[in-house]
Amino acid sequence: MISASAERLQQVDLVIVGNGALGLFLAHELTERGAGSVAVIGPSSSETGASQAAGAMLGCFGETTTESLRTDASRTRFELGVAAHDRWPAVLEGLEEFSLTGRPLLSAPDTHVVLNSIGAELDTVNYQAIRAALDEYEKPWEEVDPHDIPGFNPRLDTRSLSAIHLPAEGAVDARGVLEALERKLRAAGVHFVDATVNKLVSSDNVVTGVELDDGHVIEGGNVVVAAGIQSEALVRTVTEDIDLVPTFPGLGFAMIARRSGGDPFRSVVRTPNRGFACGLHVVPQGGGLEYYGATNRLVDSVSGVTWMADVRFLAQYSMQQLDERAASHEVVQWLSGNRPVTLDGFPMIGWLPPAGLYLMTGTYRDGFHCAPLLAEHVANELQGKPGIIDPMFSPTRAPIATRTVEWSISEYVEHNLAAWFETGAEAAPQMTTPQIAEYYRTRCVQLYDQLNIDYALGPDILWYAQGSLRGARRVSRYLRKHRGNSAPQPQSVQVGSGDAR
Amino acid sequence: MTDSSTPSIVRKLIDQQLNFAAHGLQLKDDDNLWDLGMTSLTCLGLMLSIEDSFDVELPEEVLRESTFRTVESITAAVDAALKDVPAAS
Repeated sequence: MISASAERLQQVDLVIVGNGALGLFLAHELTERGAGSVAVIGPSSSETGASQAAGAMLGCFGETTTESLRTDASRTRFELGVAAHDRWPAVLEGLEEFSLTGRPLLSAPDTHVVLNSIGAELDTVNYQAIRAALDEYEKPWEEVDPHDIPGFNPRLDTRSLSAIHLPAEGAVDARGVLEALERKLRAAGVHFVDATVNKLVSSDNVVTGVELDDGHVIEGGNVVVAAGIQSEALVRTVTEDIDLVPTFPGLGFAMIARRSGGDPFRSVVRTPNRGFACGLHVVPQGGGLEYYGATNRLVDSVSGVTWMADVRFLAQYSMQQLDERAASHEVVQWLSGNRPVTLDGFPMIGWLPPAGLYLMTGTYRDGFHCAPLLAEHVANELQGKPGIIDPMFSPTRAPIATRTVEWSISEYVEHNLAAWFETGAEAAPQMTTPQIAEYYRTRCVQLYDQLNIDYALGPDILWYAQGSLRGARRVSRYLRKHRGNSAPQPQSVQVGSGDAR
Repeated sequence: MTDSSTPSIVRKLIDQQLNFAAHGLQLKDDDNLWDLGMTSLTCLGLMLSIEDSFDVELPEEVLRESTFRTVESITAAVDAALKDVPAAS
């Protein structure tokens, strides 16, 4: 709450809406450049934001899937992560003195990726994709004996038979970094306004500021909306006419537990990315704490709720696949956050049609990791300098196409099979895997028929649309409006392991 | 479009999804479609075709399975939405 008696902030050079990683890193970049007065607006307890719940793995290669490098567009997206990775050492060096955690912000210097047999074929092909990408980009990695991974102690029936060590990919303490950033920015004179923005203020199709939930207006020379999943609705307060790529909340759940015994994890230990989600991972937080994550489900509306199924998923699989002693760890914090997921899976970074308005969101799983790079790009654009990332991520683009409908159906089947086996679902003994696959394939074909669209969606959006009338309507309406604008580029599509079995 | 035509159009759209006429089924206004073979995906298609045919946007709070249970319940939702459409549009 803002005290009524306090001198209210009236005007700044730049208003940043959103106090997550993207907003704070942008403020940081601009402050370092001495680029005028900045206000960061957002509620101090942003309990539904993605950043505060992030595992903050600095892992672009650990995140690789068979899709990551399959098309030019996906590769461009992937390379954002690679470029962002190089910026983190300097970022952390500049933040350590502002940290209050009493331990290094880099909570783990390296990562182990384990391949176990519970996640179906998708695990295997993504594990191969990780190694291929590391080789292609000439990054260090080595095969290791899973028994030699500190802290790793799965149940025998889900033990890992293969593992690799990524010495250059670690993780940061997300909450520690956000806190240190805010302290540094406050010391540098950035205005923090603990409030929710009610709407954008405009005049003659120029955005001139923001109105807070109590009606107070703060004027800004430019307004950057970096409010994660809230961004789209906020932009629409100035005009309904902007043709934005739709975003959906990707609700995720994670927990921080205090280790009660046994050898601690000293590195990130994770599976490859899995069906609809980011793989199972543990991230050491320092001080005897470990972050276990994470679930992902696309939902109709933003919330901070935790589904009992997600608690079960995470607790059971952490004990089963990472460390059976986790059963007696003490959960000290439940985290849930809403990732900003765009319909085509690509971020939205760029100026919008009303002058003075810039949007940066849609970063899905790695907004935290990419934030320093995106901040540099956006700061350039705000200052009229050339950007440093591809302009393809413009928020008003036609949806980026990376697959054919047939490919998308096969991918959907693969992800469902992965989720089927990982969750321990049992088919009748006479039912074969191809029969289960056929069920999902038939269902997906029917879904495309009913949605009446020709754009090929990712498996997470398909899963959401098949289970939500609101979601299906949004997806169908938007894509029917854009019909024919988004034919995939066949020249960049190679035959890969997403193929149907 | 008048209110009185709503049920007949709704019936036609239901039949496109569930093919009752071809199977000789006489659909009553209060028959539960979910008991007669409607699935989440046919419901999804029915919703989209209803919105297209009536050129109407059903409010988010009625986008749930119970709205699509019977000819009666669908008609009620469509008529309510039609009534809310401003005359100018």
